[in-house]
Amino acid sequence: MIRAVVLLAAVVALLQPPPAAAADGALTWTDDERALILSHGPWPPKIAPDPSNRVSGDDDAIAFGRALFESATLSRDRNASCATCHNPGLAFSDGLKRGVAIAEVDRNTPSLFNMRLNRWYGWGGKSDSLWAQSIPPFLDQRELALPPERLRDRIAADAELAAGYRRTFGREVADVAPEAAMVDVAKALAAFQETLVSPRTAFDDFRDALAANDSDGMAAYPAAAQRGLKMFIGRGQCVFCHFGPNFTNGEFGNIGLGHFMSPGRVDKGRYGGIELLRENPFNLLGDYNDDPDRTTAGFTRLVRQSQKTWGEFRVPSLRNVAHTAPYMHDGSLATLEDVVHHYSEIDENRLHQDGEKILKRLDLTDREVADMVTFLKTL
Amino acid sequence: MLLATALPAFAQGCPEDTLGDGATRINKDGQTIAYRTLPAKIPVGKPFAVEVIACIDGKPPTGIRMDAGMPMHGHGMNYTPEKKDMGPGHARFDGLVFHMPGKWMFTFDLYDGTERKRTMQAIRVRP
Repeated sequence: MIRAVVLLAAVVALLQPPPAAAADGALTWTDDERALILSHGPWPPKIAPDPSNRVSGDDDAIAFGRALFESATLSRDRNASCATCHNPGLAFSDGLKRGVAIAEVDRNTPSLFNMRLNRWYGWGGKSDSLWAQSIPPFLDQRELALPPERLRDRIAADAELAAGYRRTFGREVADVAPEAAMVDVAKALAAFQETLVSPRTAFDDFRDALAANDSDGMAAYPAAAQRGLKMFIGRGQCVFCHFGPNFTNGEFGNIGLGHFMSPGRVDKGRYGGIELLRENPFNLLGDYNDDPDRTTAGFTRLVRQSQKTWGEFRVPSLRNVAHTAPYMHDGSLATLEDVVHHYSEIDENRLHQDGEKILKRLDLTDREVADMVTFLKTL
Repeated sequence: MLLATALPAFAQGCPEDTLGDGATRINKDGQTIAYRTLPAKIPVGKPFAVEVIACIDGKPPTGIRMDAGMPMHGHGMNYTPEKKDMGPGHARFDGLVFHMPGKWMFTFDLYDGTERKRTMQAIRVRP
């Protein structure tokens, strides 16, 4: 009798639609799933000025920063600019495995969209502000290779850039000490980059329709994308790191990628990033922070360096991800399909023993991989 | 103001009515811990503070430490909280950051001289 009841229950269960699907085939969402999805918006976000940068949000600084960004004058051989690697036509990245200005650098060029939302900058988080992150390319011999004094003199010799500096900072660049002038330039560059916000997407429309219980609006979002989204916030567990309106928690993770920048050269990732951060004279604890109260410096003061941070890299935003191939800090994965396969078939033996324990093989089916990719392309 | 309301309770021995209605109280093996988070709802990915009042067998501990982690994930926080002593058995920890949603665990260490007594408290953080 008990066996018959169990069998009947099993038959009835088989006749029911899958729990995540409504009778009409549209996916349904639990309260927890809804809350997670809604937490990825609204978009665009409100962008507040950076208190550590006195020209953040200033129109003159934004215009000056744009001119600096595009100016090849600010490179050693006058043949490269910020836009060389951060190409506006490629979501402000470069489409290369690793960036190349004067010579190839060690890591992939990140997109500059939505930078103001970051807490840390660089794949290892060596900078704690957007303006501080705008300084290293001038100092790196493989990038713009223009030390502070030459940078200042190049701007002073260029009538348009000199005027932009004067309008923004109210003084002549030639009268400013080289290092201070370089920091000013970085702050104007940051003011411009803060304005680079990626446009709304199909996901944002779906998210807002879900918030409004607008079934027609929700139905406009492809079913494959919805299935991918369900995987993203569910079994895939992607949401633990790719969380919030910018699809990143702003922190770092080890996902089992290679540890070498080149043969014999280990990339320490976040561990090395914290070392560089602490010795960086341009960090938020230093004299160039324009905020006397150091209101945003707490993370820098309290950041914890541990063995776990070896080989961790910044969790990137997934917004615009379809336009920023190749992927990962080393550009080692060419396509979004490769990225999904990496997680689906992750080699747990490559993960740091102190690392994130929820990274497990997913063994996704071909359709599940395709669903995830479809979802990612809507971001 | 908070300090003023907290100290009389310690005069009586343990934090019975301190920290207001939003406080969580734990009684375990002679330890009494009352804590509250600031803000009350822990925001994911943003700093928050924890204020703690504690005693062991009716007396303030000689020291209080706290930390947090995600046992299922095998990691702790990426930041070390900054402790501010506010009186006997009373401390505030600033700069905690839960960088993921999910199940976290607070760890409270109360010291009685060199002896440490540890109490864990599960917290589920939702977006």
